[in-house]
Amino acid sequence: MDRTAIAQRRTEVLVLEHQTKLARYLRRMVGDAEVALDLTQDVFLSAYRTLQADPARELRVGWLYRAATNAAISFMRRRKILHVLPLDRDLDRNAWRVDEHGAESVDLQAALARLPVEQTAALLMTSYAGYSSSEAAQILGTSADAVRQRVCRAMKTLRHVMNEDSNS
Amino acid sequence: MKVASNCAAAEILAGAIALGEAGDEQRLAYREHLSTCRHCLVAIGGEREIERVIGIVAQARDQERWQPDLRRARARVPSHSYAWKWGAGLATAAVFVVALVATQRHAPVVVHSVATQDLGSVAALSTQTFPQREGRAESLAFTGAQAARSTLTFEVRLDARGKPARCTVIKHSSRASLDAAVCNAVMRAH
Repeated sequence: MDRTAIAQRRTEVLVLEHQTKLARYLRRMVGDAEVALDLTQDVFLSAYRTLQADPARELRVGWLYRAATNAAISFMRRRKILHVLPLDRDLDRNAWRVDEHGAESVDLQAALARLPVEQTAALLMTSYAGYSSSEAAQILGTSADAVRQRVCRAMKTLRHVMNEDSNS
Repeated sequence: MKVASNCAAAEILAGAIALGEAGDEQRLAYREHLSTCRHCLVAIGGEREIERVIGIVAQARDQERWQPDLRRARARVPSHSYAWKWGAGLATAAVFVVALVATQRHAPVVVHSVATQDLGSVAALSTQTFPQREGRAESLAFTGAQAARSTLTFEVRLDARGKPARCTVIKHSSRASLDAAVCNAVMRAH
């Protein structure tokens, strides 16, 4: 089997296993479903090219998340946006309200929009994608303590936003 | 027991508590810090508050219902920048052909074909790797299995001076705009 066929087969496996979680992660990073879909495909395309160049390379899911995080950050920088974009579609805006009809209803996406991108990545990588601080640190290229600190600072902001919501 | 000596260390401990990575010793150190730091008590809160806030993110994750449809992303209209790049690629190929034609001025009519799949790997990749999601934007003008195999064939008629006088597309590629771009480039080449 030639390297192109190997790369295709391995990429297909990655797509089938991880596309949903990865796209959801990206959606929360950039705050836009359409952009998230594009970035997700860019990540898998990048994976394909990497595997095509080196079919023996072990490509784990952490690689995908690293590529996805970098793609999201690059996208936001290209758009000269330092924070996560607020959602501009009604469907999206309603899609991530927690306990929508309850007293603790929280528009988490709007809250994420207030965070610096590094904190968003740390928070989503751990509490959303399910990585430990050590694993997230490897993916994000930082230390586990830095990830924990970013998570804490993200929570501070979320808490502040939630208090604002409940007072308004 | 290690007591968090400053707020930055307390933030790390709070993060560990939030992620379920803190042991008893770390929890105790955090409590010790809170007992002496009103700022962290107000800004971060106690362990129960940390778990409440992080629980909201986990709850949101569990409530996530969005199913990404990558096929839909593939079917989106290609961006102008991509179309322009592909158009430029085809045009470059066409200019090359015209340059060849110019070296053989005795031939008044030249017919040349440009196989679109030769212009890059993305179109081929889209159809070979993800056949179920053909038609995506990255595939641009050549999306889909059929388009990836498509060929643009055009005829150039030269005048007595050997300059292109007319360009006719004999077999269209999948995008009329690219066909036009090729012919425009051919006509401008000399």
